[in-house]
Amino acid sequence: MRRLGLILWNDVRRHLRAPLAIIIYILIPIAMTGLIGLIFTPEKTGGELPPIPVVLVDHDKNLASRLLMGAFDADQMKKMFQVTAADEAEGRRRMAKGKASAMVVIPERFTLDFLELKPVALEVVKNPAQQFLPDVVEEFMATMAVMLSAAVQAFEPEARGIRALLGAPVEAVPWETLGPEFGKAQRKVVAARAYLNPLLLRLAEEKTKAAGAKTSLSRSDIFSIILPGMAIMFLLFIVQTVMRDMIAEREDGKLRRMLTTPLRPGELIGARLLGGWLMGVVILLIMAGFGTLVFRVRWGPFGYFLLLGAVATFWTAAFFALMNALIRNRNQAGSLSAPIILAFSIFGGSMLNPEAMPQAFRTVGVLTPNRWFIDGAALVRDGRFPAFPLLVLAASGLVLLALAVPALRRRATV
Amino acid sequence: MRSVKRILHIALNDLKLMVKDKAFFFWTLAFPVFFIVIFGLLYKEGDKAPAVAELTVVNRDQGRWGAYFLDKVKSPGVGLKMADAEPAAYSRLLILPEDFSAKIEARKDQALAFKKREDASSSAAARVETRLYQAIARVLSELVLYGDGDLSKFLDGHPEFRDLVLVKSRFPEKTVTVVPSGFDHSIPGATVQFIMMMVMIYGGITVMEDRKKGVLGRMLFSPLSTAGLFQAKLLGRWLMGLLQAAMLFVVGRVFFHLDLGDVPLSLLVIAVFALAMAALSVFIGSVCAKEDMIIGLSVLLANMFAGLGGCWWPIEIVPPAVRTAGMVSPAYWAMDALHRLRFFQGDFAAIAVNLGVLLTLSIVLAIVAGKAFKIRD
Repeated sequence: MRRLGLILWNDVRRHLRAPLAIIIYILIPIAMTGLIGLIFTPEKTGGELPPIPVVLVDHDKNLASRLLMGAFDADQMKKMFQVTAADEAEGRRRMAKGKASAMVVIPERFTLDFLELKPVALEVVKNPAQQFLPDVVEEFMATMAVMLSAAVQAFEPEARGIRALLGAPVEAVPWETLGPEFGKAQRKVVAARAYLNPLLLRLAEEKTKAAGAKTSLSRSDIFSIILPGMAIMFLLFIVQTVMRDMIAEREDGKLRRMLTTPLRPGELIGARLLGGWLMGVVILLIMAGFGTLVFRVRWGPFGYFLLLGAVATFWTAAFFALMNALIRNRNQAGSLSAPIILAFSIFGGSMLNPEAMPQAFRTVGVLTPNRWFIDGAALVRDGRFPAFPLLVLAASGLVLLALAVPALRRRATV
Repeated sequence: MRSVKRILHIALNDLKLMVKDKAFFFWTLAFPVFFIVIFGLLYKEGDKAPAVAELTVVNRDQGRWGAYFLDKVKSPGVGLKMADAEPAAYSRLLILPEDFSAKIEARKDQALAFKKREDASSSAAARVETRLYQAIARVLSELVLYGDGDLSKFLDGHPEFRDLVLVKSRFPEKTVTVVPSGFDHSIPGATVQFIMMMVMIYGGITVMEDRKKGVLGRMLFSPLSTAGLFQAKLLGRWLMGLLQAAMLFVVGRVFFHLDLGDVPLSLLVIAVFALAMAALSVFIGSVCAKEDMIIGLSVLLANMFAGLGGCWWPIEIVPPAVRTAGMVSPAYWAMDALHRLRFFQGDFAAIAVNLGVLLTLSIVLAIVAGKAFKIRD
C-alpha cells in the first residue's frame, strides 16, 4: 500500500511540474461553456432572439406606408425588429454584410390602391445567407397584411373617402359634408374598441416539455445544462493523457526497470488506475468550482454530483486502462483515443443536444459514458438521486476493470 | 531559383510524410465529413419545418364559433388534428374552452391556451402561431364589419373577410434561386474549422518534433538557411490546408451537391485563410515543447475561433456583442467571404476587405512565427 502511495505521489508531482497541458484541457470546456451559454441564453428583453435587423424600402411614401412604418415603431415591435429606412441598393448591401435579415419593399401606389380596396402586394426580400430570421420577418409581414386587410374592409367607406381626399385639390373637397362621415367613423371606432381593447381573442402561450411542465431557462440554467457535457468530454481527454503513461513507460523500458524493484505488477497497475481516477476527480472538482463561481451553475445536491463524477471518472480510468492494454504503442494510442472520445461526445450529447439528434444517434448514445453522466447530472440538478446512471456506469466500469487488469498484468510481465 | 526548389522540396516532403500517416485521412477527411453530415442534417431539420405544421386542437366549445374559428386557422401549411382531451404527445396544442362561443357572443374577452413543445420545430411553431394570430385578426375584422348586431345570428350570414394585402417573398436579384441546403452551410463551416484544427495540430506537432529530434538542425547542413527552412515549413503546412480544403470541397460537390458560388474566389479565400493558419501552426510548434500542449492549445483556439466565427451555428442568431467579438476570429472573415460568394454571388470587390484582413493576419502571424521559429530548444 505504501509503495502504491509512493508511485502515486511521484506521478502527481510529475504532472504538476508541467501542468500547462492539463490547465488548457480544463480551460477548453469552461471557455466553450461560456461561449455557448452567451449565445443561447434568452435575451433579457423576453424574446429568444436578438432584434431582427430589417430594411424598409418605401416606394409609396404615402399614408399607408407611413402607417406601416409606424407599426414597427411600437415598443413591442422595437424589441423584435430593428428597422432602417433605405433604398433597395443599400438594403442589398446591408444583407450582404449580414446587417439585415430581410428587406420589406412597399410598392408605388400602395396607399392609393389600398384605399381603393384593390389587391396590393408587399414584397419581402429575404437574406439568402440566413436561415431563421428572414422567415420570422415574412411571417410577421403576413400578419400585418391580414391586419391591414381587416382595417381597410372594416372602414371601407372611410378609406374610399380618404382616397378621394388624397386625389382631389383642397378647394374641391366638400368640407361641410364631412361632419356626418366622421360621426359614422367614430361609431365604428367605438364599436371596434369593444373588440380590440382588450382583444376579444388572444393567445395565452405556454412552452412545455414532454411532461407538460413550464420551461423558462435563465443564463445559469443554460450553463448548468452545457457544463456537465463539456466537463465529461474533457475529463475523458485528461484521464486518457494521464493513463497514456502506461504505454510510455512500457515503450521506454521504464516498466521493466520498475519491476526489478520489489514492486508488484498489481501495485503498478493499481497506482496508475488510482492516479487517473484521482486526477479526474480533482479536475472535475476544479471545473465544478469554476462553474459555480463564474457561471453560477446549479448542480443540485453536490454530494450526489460528486458521487456521479467519481463513478464516471472510475469508468473513464478503467476504459483507458483496457484500451492501453490492448494497443501497442503511443502512436496508436494517440490516433485512436481522440476519435473515440469525440465519437463518445457527439453521440453521448456533449457536443449536440440529444433531443435534437436523430433517434439512431440517441440509441448509439446509450453506449457512451457521456450520455449517462449528462443524464445523471440532469437528475441531480432536479434534486433526484441518479441511481440508474450510477448503476450503469459502475457496473460497466467494473466489467472494463475486470478485463483491463489481467490484460495489463500480461503486458507488464511480457 | 535553387533556393525556391529546395524550399518546395522540403515542403512537399513534409506534406508527403503527413499524408503517409495512417490517421491523416481520418482527421482531415473522414472526421470532417462525419461532422458535415451530422450538422448538415441538423441544419436541415432545424430550418425546414415539416411541409404541414401540425396543430392539435381540443375543441370543448359548446357553440358554433369554435368550428368557425378553426376554419379560419386551416391553411395548406397548417394541419389540424382534433383531440377530445389534452394528449400526452403533441407538438403544438390549442384548447378552445367550453364557453368560447358564449364569450364571443357576449363580447367578453378571452385568452386561448396555446402550448408549444420546446423540442418541436420552432419554424413550424412560428407558422402555426402566425396563422392563429391571422385567424384572430380575420374574425375580429368580421366582427367589426358586422357592427353591434346580435352575434348569435352572425354565423347565419355576415360579410366575409377578403385578403386585400398580400405578401410576396423572394431572394435578392442575382443571388440564389432556391433555398440553400443544410450542407451549403455545414460544409464551409466544417472546412474552415478543420483546417484550423488540423493545420495547427499536425503542423505544430511536426515542427516541434523536428526540432526536438534534431531534424531541423540536420537540415541546416544543407545549403538552406534558417529563413529558408522556416519558409519551407510554412509552405508545407499551407499545402496541407489546401489539400484538406480541396478534398472536402470535392466530397461536398460529389456527394452533397455543394455550390460555392465563384469557385476560384472561394479557393482564394481558403488559400489565404490556410496561410494564416499555417503561420499560426509554425508559431505554436515553435513555442510549445509538448504534444499534449499543442493539441490542447489547438483544440481550444480552433473551437473558440469556429464558435465565434459562425462555423457551428448561423451567425444571425448570435447576440450583436458576441458577433462583434467574433471579428477577432479569422474564421469569421473566411466564413463571411464564403457566404458572400455563395449566397450573394459576390465578386472580388465583395470579398476584398475579407481578403485584406486575412492577408494582413497571415503576414503578421508569419512575422511572429518567423521570430519564434527555432532550430534547437
